[in-house]
Amino acid sequence: MSYEKDMMEKNQRGEVIPDKLDIPLLKYLWDASPLSFGSSKENYHEFFKKISVLNSFSDNELRLFSKFLHRREFITSEVIFRQGDSGYGFYFVFQGSVNIYANHLNPNKDDLGELIIRLDQRQYFGEMGLLEEFNRRSASVVAAENTVVLGIFKPDLEKMLEFYPVLGAKFLRETALIMANRMGHLTREVMSLKRKIKELEQRV
Amino acid sequence: MHRNLKLKLFLFFFLLFATISFAFLFPRLTLPFGFAYIIYLMAQPLKVLLLNGSGQQRIFFFMLLILGVVFSMFPLFAAFYNIDTDFSKFSAQLPELQKNLQDKFFIFKVYVFEKIGYRINIDPVSFVVRKLEKQGALLLAQIPTYLSSFFEWMLLVPMFLYFFFFQSKKFSHKFLRSIPNSIFEKTYVLTSQFNTKFGEYIIAKFIEATFLGTIVTIGLLAIGFPYPFVLGFIAGITNILPYIGPLIGVLPALLVALLSQDPQISMLGMVFIFAFANLIDMVLVFPLLVSKVVDLNPIIVVVSVIVGGQVGGIVGMIVIIPFIAFFKLLFQEIYKDLSVQL
Repeated sequence: MSYEKDMMEKNQRGEVIPDKLDIPLLKYLWDASPLSFGSSKENYHEFFKKISVLNSFSDNELRLFSKFLHRREFITSEVIFRQGDSGYGFYFVFQGSVNIYANHLNPNKDDLGELIIRLDQRQYFGEMGLLEEFNRRSASVVAAENTVVLGIFKPDLEKMLEFYPVLGAKFLRETALIMANRMGHLTREVMSLKRKIKELEQRV
Repeated sequence: MHRNLKLKLFLFFFLLFATISFAFLFPRLTLPFGFAYIIYLMAQPLKVLLLNGSGQQRIFFFMLLILGVVFSMFPLFAAFYNIDTDFSKFSAQLPELQKNLQDKFFIFKVYVFEKIGYRINIDPVSFVVRKLEKQGALLLAQIPTYLSSFFEWMLLVPMFLYFFFFQSKKFSHKFLRSIPNSIFEKTYVLTSQFNTKFGEYIIAKFIEATFLGTIVTIGLLAIGFPYPFVLGFIAGITNILPYIGPLIGVLPALLVALLSQDPQISMLGMVFIFAFANLIDMVLVFPLLVSKVVDLNPIIVVVSVIVGGQVGGIVGMIVIIPFIAFFKLLFQEIYKDLSVQL
């Protein structure tokens, strides 16, 4: 049990708590040591198990995959990236939610434009940044609330392909599938728009 | 921007500035740290070989590595033994070289007097010898300092190596977390690219220097030129400096050939060997290894080497190239961003 929890329970029970902190010297030195980086182990395994595109990953592959991720914390309304920025990474929403905006009229202005979609936990964005050589973000992403995202970037993918080629190839295949799905969706959208334009032309 | 985010950005840059200032203020720590980092980077390709493949392949590569280390130790020791003998021989022959030089200068003085009637009264040979003796005495006085630095390095380098091999991953994770969100992606990608470029450059230069040094040593041994190991070693080491390195590398051999009275010594042969080794380097080794890593204009490389030498001596001359390659990358990124914003 942690010292803090112990004190809280004593307080709840109405017991007398010491005026001064009574952390053992060894624990203090351990925590204060510049070589000690804490003992919190971030386990993203369960989180990734519930993500459909990573279904084909084994438990060990998910464990290895999570080693390449970067946890980034954003406060409400903080911009994750802006439309037109150079893109290098692919993000999974770990906690919280994000809003995606696109400014079709003035893509390089500070104005974020209109809200396109809101992404919640276990959804992902920015996959093109990982694959394209010179990627420009096609939309802006803003934290809708206090949000934690897990990002994987180009250097991580290169390292993954170098050290764990099977895992890297698997991840690339999944990313390509995500892209293919998005492309399919886009094609259907374009066809529907063309049909609508044709209908309008006929009416005119 | 939110006030906290601004504060985080300011703190990050302040810490970065403080770290860089610390590195410049305490070179006694920075230099062994940098040396350990270079060894760590050079060990990276081995890590790939040892981590990739099946269990059997890993065991095979590990055995191969041990065998390689054991077998490479023997010729390495032999080479160092020969370098030591060559240096001793060279020191023993120094008085003879001095006399030889004085004779040659006397002939030159007589020649000038006969031709134009001018008597040269200066004695540059004695002046140089006196200077060298003085420098030698100073060097001797400095030996305790060098020894203490050596022991300092013996303690610090393994310690830093331990840090790089076993703690750097956790440390870099913590460092990356401290980078503000607004600059994270770009900072991470650029630092990764710099690390890759720097590592590749150091490995490429090391291979290039070994290759050139070996060719020169074998060539000089074949024609019976004196001090082949020392001259090969110097040629390899100086080759690390781009463009001006090969010129500096040939100077000691040229001096030996000029001062030696042995008629067996072939200066033409020696020049041919150096030219051949540098040709192989320019045609094969450099395009295959180094130019892939640093794609810089030759003028920029020469100017950078001079500036690097001015700022950081020999170390500065070597490490300036990957830094310039990194700055090129950085400016390209900034330019790309500006061109989108315009």
